[in-house]
Amino acid sequence: MHKIAAVLVMIVLSSSVATGPSPTPFASAASDIQYEVLSPWAESDSIPQRGISPRLENLAGKKIGLFINTKRAAKPMAAAIAKRLKEKFPTSETSLFASPLSTVILKDSKDGDKFAAWVKSVNAVVLLVGD
Amino acid sequence: MVLANRGFVKDAQAAASVKGMPGLRILGESVACESTVAADIEAGVDAAMPEIIAALTKPLTPSEKSPKQKVEKPARIIFKGSNQEVNHFFYGKGWTDGLPIVPPTEKAVAAMMAGTDLPADQVVARMVPKLGKATVEKIAVNAVMAGALPTYMPVLIAAVQALADPKTRFDVFQTSTGSWAPFFAINGPVRNDININCGSGVFSPGNMANAAIGRAVGLMVKNIAGVRKGIEDMGVLGNPEKYSLVLGEYEEESPWEPLHVDFGLRKEDSALTVFFPNSYSQTIPAQTSAQGIAERLASMSPYSLSCLVVIPDHAQILSSEGWSKKRLREFILKNAPRGEMRRTLNDEDFIVVVAGGPGVWMAALKSSGGFGNSFVTIKIELPRNWDKLVAKYKAIVPNYESY
Repeated sequence: MHKIAAVLVMIVLSSSVATGPSPTPFASAASDIQYEVLSPWAESDSIPQRGISPRLENLAGKKIGLFINTKRAAKPMAAAIAKRLKEKFPTSETSLFASPLSTVILKDSKDGDKFAAWVKSVNAVVLLVGD
Repeated sequence: MVLANRGFVKDAQAAASVKGMPGLRILGESVACESTVAADIEAGVDAAMPEIIAALTKPLTPSEKSPKQKVEKPARIIFKGSNQEVNHFFYGKGWTDGLPIVPPTEKAVAAMMAGTDLPADQVVARMVPKLGKATVEKIAVNAVMAGALPTYMPVLIAAVQALADPKTRFDVFQTSTGSWAPFFAINGPVRNDININCGSGVFSPGNMANAAIGRAVGLMVKNIAGVRKGIEDMGVLGNPEKYSLVLGEYEEESPWEPLHVDFGLRKEDSALTVFFPNSYSQTIPAQTSAQGIAERLASMSPYSLSCLVVIPDHAQILSSEGWSKKRLREFILKNAPRGEMRRTLNDEDFIVVVAGGPGVWMAALKSSGGFGNSFVTIKIELPRNWDKLVAKYKAIVPNYESY
């Protein structure tokens, strides 16, 4: 019986030695067991990729849309940008669009048509999230 | 172009990418979030103006013009190693909640899937924002990692279905700066079948079902929905309730109809109800009469989606003095002090659940409404081999020794 116990102890010790120095103190002979594991990371359907709109050569004479959500810094930031654009490009204009909620997809909402018309009416858009 | 606080640039990039516009120009600015200081806003905009103008005028790069199609085909078998190596690999990939996980081997995942009749490749839902496919197998992998038993699978599948219901506004709450956490109230026979704690310390750790179900959901939020801390999950302070916030209603100790019956299901059905609170508060009534208990519950201002947790002793006092749940709800509607928003409390704003142990404390879990969100209750479907499964795992409970 004692011999069996001694052999078991030796096996355990030799197993521990075989793993080499462990970075954590709780490593044991059990660390020799190998686990082949499945990925928890989910697959997604491939989403069509879209390029962004061509840039403007300059902003003179252009209408820049300023899109804001309901976060409280968004509106004053939009006002500050509008003021500076006018100073730098006196012939430019700005147009504000305020989203009624910070958490809606506008094109799918009741304001979808209004939003689409606004997008068409401007040459470029700066989206301000207020965060 | 997008102008966002510099702490939100990664978040905005992730959002643009998942919508198929990885080239969207996103500029980080230095204005304090939701700033109310005009001078700071002016200074921040001044500093950002040159880059704003450049973002609107600088010609597109080839990748901005025509981004490459992304093809994501993650390997099914992802790693081989010791328990410790698996844990370090998963942690390094950002796939854990920081605690050790159980290695999701083929054998363990197959055993987990005994908890459902659905095929492994069935897509239960596509979870936003990543639109990751929550297949039965992926749910099982994350369940194994969390230390779940196969008998939890029906609850986890129902949880995924519930979270995918747009009425939860999972898209908002899991990513919000408000650090909201999914709360699950479990009702019906499944509670006892899988040993969900409904009594003493119902929100405390120590019960495998309450702990592992919430933990598995947290892992699925990360690994299937793709909501990672500081990238898609912008919770400012975070929330320990994201580890697990699962309660069973103590139906046996309640004098009232259970929650799922309030939502139109049959008492003999098993069900879960979910919403996203970000705070948990406890208090005691000044008087332990029915009136005193009702007054204190009303004082907890359950505005904007809340759950009031009434302990069994209080529910019995209320009932013995003639208070039905309906009467209690009406009293709360009438007497709740107006909240910060000074709006009227509506019937659909709050739920009442009976849970907890002996004592005098009561609790409220509070969320936020106004996003088109509501409580979502869903029936839990059990597999054909349910009784056999329950018989196999039901005896796994903590047996505390006296000392």
